[in-house]
Amino acid sequence: MESIRLMSHLVAGFPDAETSVAIADALVAGGSSILEIQLAFSDPSADGPAIQTASTVALENGFSTRKGLEIVKRIHERHPETPIYVMTYGSLAFTPGVENFAAMCKEAGASACIVPDLPFDCDEGLTAACRKQGLENIPVAAPSMSAERLGKLASAGFGQIYAALRAGTTGSETTIDKSTLDFIDAVGANGSKVLGGFGIRSGEQSRVLCRHVHAVVAGSVFVNLVLERPCTPEGRAEAVRRIEAKARELTGRG
Amino acid sequence: MTKTESDNGFFDRFGGKYVAEIIRRPLDDLEKAFGEAMRDPAFLEELRTVQRDYIGRETPLYFAPTATKLLGGARIYVKLEGLANTGAHKINNAIGQCLLARRMGKTRVIAETGAGQHGLATAAACAKLGLECVVYMGEVDVRRQQPNVATMELYGAKVVPVKSGARTLKDAVNEAMRDWAANFKDTHYVLGSALGPAPFPDIVRTFQSVIGDEVKRQAAERGIDVGAVVACVGGGSNSIGIFSAFLDDADVRLVGAEAGGVGPNVGENAARMTGNASREGIVQGYKSRFLIDEDGQSLPTRSISAGLDYMGIGPQLAALGESGRVEFTSVRDDEALEAVKFFARNEGILFALESAHAGAAAMRIAKEIPADKALVINMSGRGDKDIFITSPVFRPARWREFLEAELRRLDEKKDVHDAD
Repeated sequence: MESIRLMSHLVAGFPDAETSVAIADALVAGGSSILEIQLAFSDPSADGPAIQTASTVALENGFSTRKGLEIVKRIHERHPETPIYVMTYGSLAFTPGVENFAAMCKEAGASACIVPDLPFDCDEGLTAACRKQGLENIPVAAPSMSAERLGKLASAGFGQIYAALRAGTTGSETTIDKSTLDFIDAVGANGSKVLGGFGIRSGEQSRVLCRHVHAVVAGSVFVNLVLERPCTPEGRAEAVRRIEAKARELTGRG
Repeated sequence: MTKTESDNGFFDRFGGKYVAEIIRRPLDDLEKAFGEAMRDPAFLEELRTVQRDYIGRETPLYFAPTATKLLGGARIYVKLEGLANTGAHKINNAIGQCLLARRMGKTRVIAETGAGQHGLATAAACAKLGLECVVYMGEVDVRRQQPNVATMELYGAKVVPVKSGARTLKDAVNEAMRDWAANFKDTHYVLGSALGPAPFPDIVRTFQSVIGDEVKRQAAERGIDVGAVVACVGGGSNSIGIFSAFLDDADVRLVGAEAGGVGPNVGENAARMTGNASREGIVQGYKSRFLIDEDGQSLPTRSISAGLDYMGIGPQLAALGESGRVEFTSVRDDEALEAVKFFARNEGILFALESAHAGAAAMRIAKEIPADKALVINMSGRGDKDIFITSPVFRPARWREFLEAELRRLDEKKDVHDAD
């Protein structure tokens, strides 16, 4: 059976620095093609409860952009073949200056940035700053976008576009109905590769979705595997094992 | 001439619509609907009627003779927004946006609230207009503004305590944004301050500008020569509401009073325009000045007044502060408490702790303004709600005795009217 291209999400420093590196190892071992590593922000209004909690834990552990990018760098050095996309919020990109931010991401070994609240038509220069560093900036599309706005985004020349597959925040169930498929088609209408996700839970869902997108995105499912277990060494080790198994399931290797 | 409206969502370089696409559509729809409503004479007529009969406008512009004498400078006037129905200026915007929500065919309204005054106003407006209402409120604020929670529930609103982040106003905003992203088809988000992504700063200023327009008219009718206008600034809805009418009157000083909390250091105040704890940033959908660290993470804020305890300032005020049109000053907790006492004792007027920051700033600058000119203080809210905060300061022993007795009576299931 053909394996499924999976972009797996983790929060740097969650539940702690060491475990987040172990989670990255597990996600790669489970067959992930891309790692989306989120830099925790204090006010993650586009995230659901699971990723928000993970972000809060990371911040309580003394997360900073520098420490987060050190984790990214460690993961990159362990898995140089796996592209890393750094996801965060506009505040963390704008405050140090988008040029500096892009340079820091490059230096950490990332190959793209995803910053959902810097919209493609008002991005403070992030796309240009990324390009200068040889990085991609990947915008996030939503099904509620007007046809006109979606058309503009789809024809703006982005190599990849992240398609958030339901009108809401991360973490609820996804069903793949006709309107979702139409949305995916519209996002990729001008050749941008589509990363499709939000709410992916099962191998069955990713099998259905993978036929329509360049890569399936999964995030809160992994975060929940950590949150559901006690924060003891055993609980963490068990979570990491289950994350690898879940990644195998979602990539069709399970 | 100073432009009052934003330029495509921007006030100079501040403002904007920095949101994830999931929330873009409801903002664009709202912008369009707001523009249409404000051009519709029937909507404006309904708004005027509600302002008159439900809010109780116009609110008085009160001459404060004793304060004038004691402060020894300008003639002190107080704009009594606290006399508006629900006890604060917040109703001006809440009812306006709820009318707009109904016009857009929405059946459910959500709101964030800090001090509870905006939540209270929205809950009342929803009760009046028959809309379902959910209010997000930080867990910390639920505790320190319990009287407002009780009243919101009486109006039929559901108050959801927000347990994430710092559990204050900014976290309530995040939670409301999430709700809106998921439910915008039937839900309108009534943002309570002149901030957040466009078009909110324009909408909130428009509905609040009734304050300044009224002051201007009252001053003209009574031959009052306004020399300065002072307002407290949290997010900035009451201040931009009273300032906007005076932006082009270069001889009128406009003074914004921020929360100085307990000191000048990080975590001790909520001063974005004064001091050195703040920087320019993009948070919660808009570009402005925020209390954020060098990475862009939000910093803790502190103020005795929940309504001023917020990390960001409305983008228009940030622009007006930078251009120098609005002067900013910060007022410490103890100065605000002193102002509450001063106006209560000398004028029989009870300022909300938020508005008392404006009172304190006015007390400081009254002498700088000539005696033939008026200094107008916006009393944005009245202080009934603050009794749980002021009593432990002003009369700790008797307050403790009262609370303990009440608790005993509750434990013993005694009726409140039982004399023993």
